Amino acid sequence: MIKAEPRTILSFLHANFDVVKDLFSYQIADGLITKEVYDMLIQKHGHTMNIRLREYRVIRSLGSDYEMRDVYFKLMEFLMFEFKPLLPETIEKYKGSISELFLKIRKYENQDRDILQERIKNLSHQVREFVDLVERNTFRLLAETRELKSNIDRIEYREKVQKASFWIEYYILPLNRILDVKHSESVTSTVLDVSEYANRRRLDFQDETIRMEFEKLYSQLIQTNTDLLRQSKVLVNELLPLLERIRTESLILTGWIEFLRNPYKMDTPPLLKGSRTMVYAKDMLYKVREFFEQFSVNDYVTLEDGVVDFDKWIFDRELFKSNLTKSLPVNDFFSWCYKELEKDFQDIETDKFFALCGLLFDGDLQIEFPKKAERVTLTTTTSNISLPKIKVEPALKI
Amino acid sequence: MVYPSNHRQIVEELMGGKFILSNEEHFNSLKENDTFYTEFFKISFDLDLNLKTEYAFLLSKETQENFSRDVSIFIAILCYELDRDGRNFMEALDFNEFTFEEVDRYFDNSSFIDLIESNKSLREPDARRTLINGMHRRNIVNKNFEDRFSFTQAYKVFVDFAKELALKRMAVESE
Repeated sequence: MIKAEPRTILSFLHANFDVVKDLFSYQIADGLITKEVYDMLIQKHGHTMNIRLREYRVIRSLGSDYEMRDVYFKLMEFLMFEFKPLLPETIEKYKGSISELFLKIRKYENQDRDILQERIKNLSHQVREFVDLVERNTFRLLAETRELKSNIDRIEYREKVQKASFWIEYYILPLNRILDVKHSESVTSTVLDVSEYANRRRLDFQDETIRMEFEKLYSQLIQTNTDLLRQSKVLVNELLPLLERIRTESLILTGWIEFLRNPYKMDTPPLLKGSRTMVYAKDMLYKVREFFEQFSVNDYVTLEDGVVDFDKWIFDRELFKSNLTKSLPVNDFFSWCYKELEKDFQDIETDKFFALCGLLFDGDLQIEFPKKAERVTLTTTTSNISLPKIKVEPALKI
Repeated sequence: MVYPSNHRQIVEELMGGKFILSNEEHFNSLKENDTFYTEFFKISFDLDLNLKTEYAFLLSKETQENFSRDVSIFIAILCYELDRDGRNFMEALDFNEFTFEEVDRYFDNSSFIDLIESNKSLREPDARRTLINGMHRRNIVNKNFEDRFSFTQAYKVFVDFAKELALKRMAVESE
């Protein structure tokens, strides 16, 4: 029981705002106000301060330490806009309380009028608290995210990645699920159901007082839906993309810093090295030849089976020269040629015969023409050739 | 056999180490014949085709390639300096146009000056221009004017490389 007048308490808070603010800051930082800190503050501001803080129930003992009472703590939170983000699980509990009240209102709407009125008021109160918490959470998350983006504390990129991931995973996404009106299990969806019901009942409920209550509830819920939609938009359109970007950017910079630490010892993206053929390349000759050869044949060539003589005779000068040398002296050179060819061929072709006759012009033979006009006639596949009898002997060596 | 349209251009550019970008006409032919080209490059040259929604390129078996390393260092330092300058480097890589003068300013005042001076493709402004021209030939940047360039979507290969590196490092730390 506080004996002091409310105005007196407010005056005290006004006059000693810095002390209360310090206590609030310590409690935010450590979760409580340690005995050392408290004693130090009392020593600084005098013993009366201790009495007033206890009398106005600003603080209470917690073992040997102290803590600020919830009502003052919330007041300071509100005044300083220093909200600690709540885990969405904490906010989600409102789904239970709102649903429970809604169920009872519908079930017992024709019973006791007073309790129905109280339930509607309580429902309204729960919705108000819920919206308030969501707003505070969104505001705080936005502030934290912007702080992370500006990076005033110069935290490392890796820590930024972790923080951004943490906010997204534990705060933003669950909060978004709570606010997602398309999700049947979301709190917003329950609020919308209540709103539809209140809309009907504000028009058709038989008791006027209750109708008025439903009217108030409906007006409040219309505003609530607008507020929640706005919060949801902030989450989806601003907060989530901003955090995702911080996370991605910080991740990339973490990678780059890691890479720049020792860029020559890491495998970089394996890009293909382009190859260009230089005119001074080793294989240039072959490539040019290949290139030009493709244009060298410009007529059509027709090949017919069986027409092509694959067994083409090649004159082996060395062989026949050797045979001739062994046979020297030869009295009738042309007949010898003919006989040589007869060993291999049944019909003697003129070309082959003349090719063999070419041996006559080798320099190491001595040729003797006949004194009489003795001739011999030889028959090839195409001609009858009349030839003189020529004697061939080895050349005299001087 | 009928080859896909722009076949010669596709093969020549990819074999020249060039990126083919999604806004180029022959990219569609490459994408539509994804299976054929993957098999074609594998069987003909034993090379793997990396085809993404925004670009395509051939993977080299040679991982110690200097050009890739120089480009990685270039982009790494540019990202770091842009961030230090308070600029959103992802947006800058995506949409901004850079001048050579701006790049020189970032590199000349960088805290990675030792690394920059030890790399012959980065230490002099002229060398950096040569590197950027090389990147232009490979379709990693577009040269909008003689002294201005902007990145194409191919820069993502390098950014993804940095991400992977960070994730590996963080995985090692969390073990």
